[in-house]
Amino acid sequence: MDILRDPNFDFMKYRRFWIGLSFVTILAGLVGIFFLDRLNFGVDFAGGTQMTLEFREEPNVEELRSLVAGAGYSDAVIQRFGVAGSKEVMLRTPIVGGSEEGSAARLRAALDARYNEGGGSVDLNQVGAATVAEVLTQANPDAIAVAAATGHYQSVAAAVMAERKELGLFTSWDQVSRVAGVSAASVAALHRAATLGDFAVLGVENVGPQVGAELRQRGILAVAGAMVGMLLYIWLRFELRFAVGATMAVLHDVLITLGFFAWAGHEFNLTTVAAFLTLIGYSVNDTVVTFDRVRENLRRHRTADSIEMLNRSINQTLSRTVLTGGTTIAAALSLYLLGGDVLRGFAFVMAVGIVVGTYSSIFIASPFALLWEHWFGGGRRERGSAKPVSASPARP
Amino acid sequence: MNKGLLWRGVLIVALGALAVWRVSPLDDNLKLGLDLQGGIHLLMRVETQDAVKAETEKDMEVLRREAEDDGIAGVRTRQLSDTTFAVDGFAAEQLTELEQVARDWLGGGWDWSRDQDGLVFEMRPGNEKAIRDGAVNQALQTIRNRIDQFGVAEPLIARQGTESDRIVLQLPGVDDPERVKRLIKNTAFLEFRLTEYPWSGGGVRSREEILQNFGGNPPDDVEILPSQERDPATGRLLGETFYAVERQRVITGRDLRSASPSQGQLGQPVVAFRLSADGAQRFGEATGANVGRGLAIVLDGKIVSAPRINSRITDSGIIEGNFSQQEVMDLVTTLRSGALPAAITYLYDSTVGPSLGHDSIRAGVQAGLYGAAFVLLSVLVVYRLSGVNAILALALNMVLIFGALAYFGATLTLPGIAGIILSIAMAVDASVLVFERIKEELRAGKSIKGAIDAGFSNAMSSILDANITTLIAALFLFQFGTGPVRGFAVTLSIGIFGTLFCGVFVSRFLFDLVYANRPRAARLSI
Repeated sequence: MDILRDPNFDFMKYRRFWIGLSFVTILAGLVGIFFLDRLNFGVDFAGGTQMTLEFREEPNVEELRSLVAGAGYSDAVIQRFGVAGSKEVMLRTPIVGGSEEGSAARLRAALDARYNEGGGSVDLNQVGAATVAEVLTQANPDAIAVAAATGHYQSVAAAVMAERKELGLFTSWDQVSRVAGVSAASVAALHRAATLGDFAVLGVENVGPQVGAELRQRGILAVAGAMVGMLLYIWLRFELRFAVGATMAVLHDVLITLGFFAWAGHEFNLTTVAAFLTLIGYSVNDTVVTFDRVRENLRRHRTADSIEMLNRSINQTLSRTVLTGGTTIAAALSLYLLGGDVLRGFAFVMAVGIVVGTYSSIFIASPFALLWEHWFGGGRRERGSAKPVSASPARP
Repeated sequence: MNKGLLWRGVLIVALGALAVWRVSPLDDNLKLGLDLQGGIHLLMRVETQDAVKAETEKDMEVLRREAEDDGIAGVRTRQLSDTTFAVDGFAAEQLTELEQVARDWLGGGWDWSRDQDGLVFEMRPGNEKAIRDGAVNQALQTIRNRIDQFGVAEPLIARQGTESDRIVLQLPGVDDPERVKRLIKNTAFLEFRLTEYPWSGGGVRSREEILQNFGGNPPDDVEILPSQERDPATGRLLGETFYAVERQRVITGRDLRSASPSQGQLGQPVVAFRLSADGAQRFGEATGANVGRGLAIVLDGKIVSAPRINSRITDSGIIEGNFSQQEVMDLVTTLRSGALPAAITYLYDSTVGPSLGHDSIRAGVQAGLYGAAFVLLSVLVVYRLSGVNAILALALNMVLIFGALAYFGATLTLPGIAGIILSIAMAVDASVLVFERIKEELRAGKSIKGAIDAGFSNAMSSILDANITTLIAALFLFQFGTGPVRGFAVTLSIGIFGTLFCGVFVSRFLFDLVYANRPRAARLSI
């Protein structure tokens, strides 16, 4: 099946319009990022503490907010998390007073005081298998001989913990008693010695000011290095104007996607950086494919008109661009819709980025290569000089 | 079948089989990152400055004591900074004697100079560095001991660089992260000290009461320490009480030969300990001479209990302090592993509970499967039988990626999955490039075999350029990136080699296999 049979669109005709449109979009994004602070930095970069909590009953966010403020963190971010209907909440507090270790301990104490009557005893929703095994071995509800007891209760504890992993947290003792391999006597013993707390801590991330600064620095270095490296390669393989076109296209894709990302309010963290790197890789790939065809056409028709040449190359690779772009966008969309909260920011970057990347390969990269040529001396060829174009060796 | 074709086939099947063999069973051979299987990632700083300061305090004290023993009267010491102290108050004619004491007892770690009052000591840089290094290495060893007692599979504990004061710790699959974090940080510095006020019995409610007893100014060799009293039934904190204790330590945690959990007379959890021969002797002397007095058990500067000495105790005893069962277990673990040489600060802490990672995998895998299904379906619809070729190449690519991950012992993280997704996109792209080119060549009137030949060779440079560019990016990311970014770079690099091999070599082989013996095939399903 042909996606597009012999397409012949004049993409270059409205090139000023496309560049202008992109320019405006980038500007809108930059305004959002730099003047309206729309970019929502996660703790990886901003530093601070983030806790993911799951509650037994849907928590009252307002109450949580005053609880957290009472612990000394009045500028905490509190939001619901996870799939719809889940009782998960994400708490985020900024760095306070340059402290490296963050707020997790105090937040936990405050939560314990409110939801678990101050804590103290063994909370089956917080302790691990080792503690459960110790409690059971101490009580020995299954009346196992001492020598075998430790091993027996360790496996009982492991079964209980495996179930908790599945559930997130136990909401009732019924759930504990349904765990396979746990005797009624063991459940009763646990019921006596332990409690079921009203919340569980699913994850904690704390980034102190020192490490936050290092992560930012290394992230920037990695992305900048990658971009420069790619530029050099394309320069080596093609010509400077193509390298410039490709770099502009990549920069364009990153900036526009970053703008959308900022306006959408997703959290910007290390995983998001990985997503942007994915996007950079994809965008370069996409652009290089088009330029490769331009180079091939230039080699065949040395004196042809640049605009005509670029148009023809874009059209020739169009069905490939559309097919690859389409399937990749579909994959990214399924990540966005089904991938859960952890992957959502990542998938957003991918989905938006690939639309933008496909657009830029068609409408932006080549016009920029042309502009570069127009501005910086490549113009000789337009006046009819037959300077050989390809810098690369001929293919076998 | 011609010979070239046979060899290519053997190579492809062998590589695929090798990858499958290396990676199966999947659960054992594919290491999941902490973000997927849950676990703790900690970056901590050993507060080596504390160790330096403590060493200065110790040497200062040694010098003062030895000077006194040698009959130099009136020696006063004063700490000026973490690495300097001043000595004065002695008679001027004994200066050379004091310098001899310093040479004899301070082991070459100090430089000193005279000023109008006496001597100023400054720690030598080499000595300071050795103390810092020693503190980090000892902390590393202590933490390793503690983790070993937890029985975590495949822990990673390492100093970050050879010069730094930082330690990186990764513990996969921990189900009670808070306990582990507490345990690691626990300096577990245990001391036994005789009480000064109250002479025996419970602590008093306020510092002021103790100060009054000493007339507002306690002597230099006495220190006031807090004690936390708990309700024996629930283990909940009741309030703070205070004791005045001697600065002099009877014994410390270093004198312990062993520690184990045990039960006290009322069945409450306690820690039982045995002392080394040397420790037992000192402990016996001190307890024998102080029957009826309180003995404060001090852990990290806080009194856990101060029982009355009923009789001379020599080589064993118990530590009680209204501990819960878990606290006793943790205390035993830390006592066995030794004390940390200095406090530890967590600079970075990422704890992923097992169920959070669990959800991520479930959602990620589901999304990945739907996405992959769509990609496969569209490739099939667009390219029909040739689509099958692309799908086979893609499937082998996936097998090779996982095989390589297992071979290199790389861990699969969430960003790593992203790298695989990008690899799949690029692999599909490689096939699309080739197929579109073949179509073009067919439209230009070439024979099937000719079109396949021309299609591959013409698409080759695009595929190479695109993949090499991405590989360059991946190498930079690996070099400069941190944690998640590196995970991404690893899978992406592996995926690029997989794409080049599968999208070009394997796909070509499949075409050749089908059309090798049908030189006059009428049409190509593409």
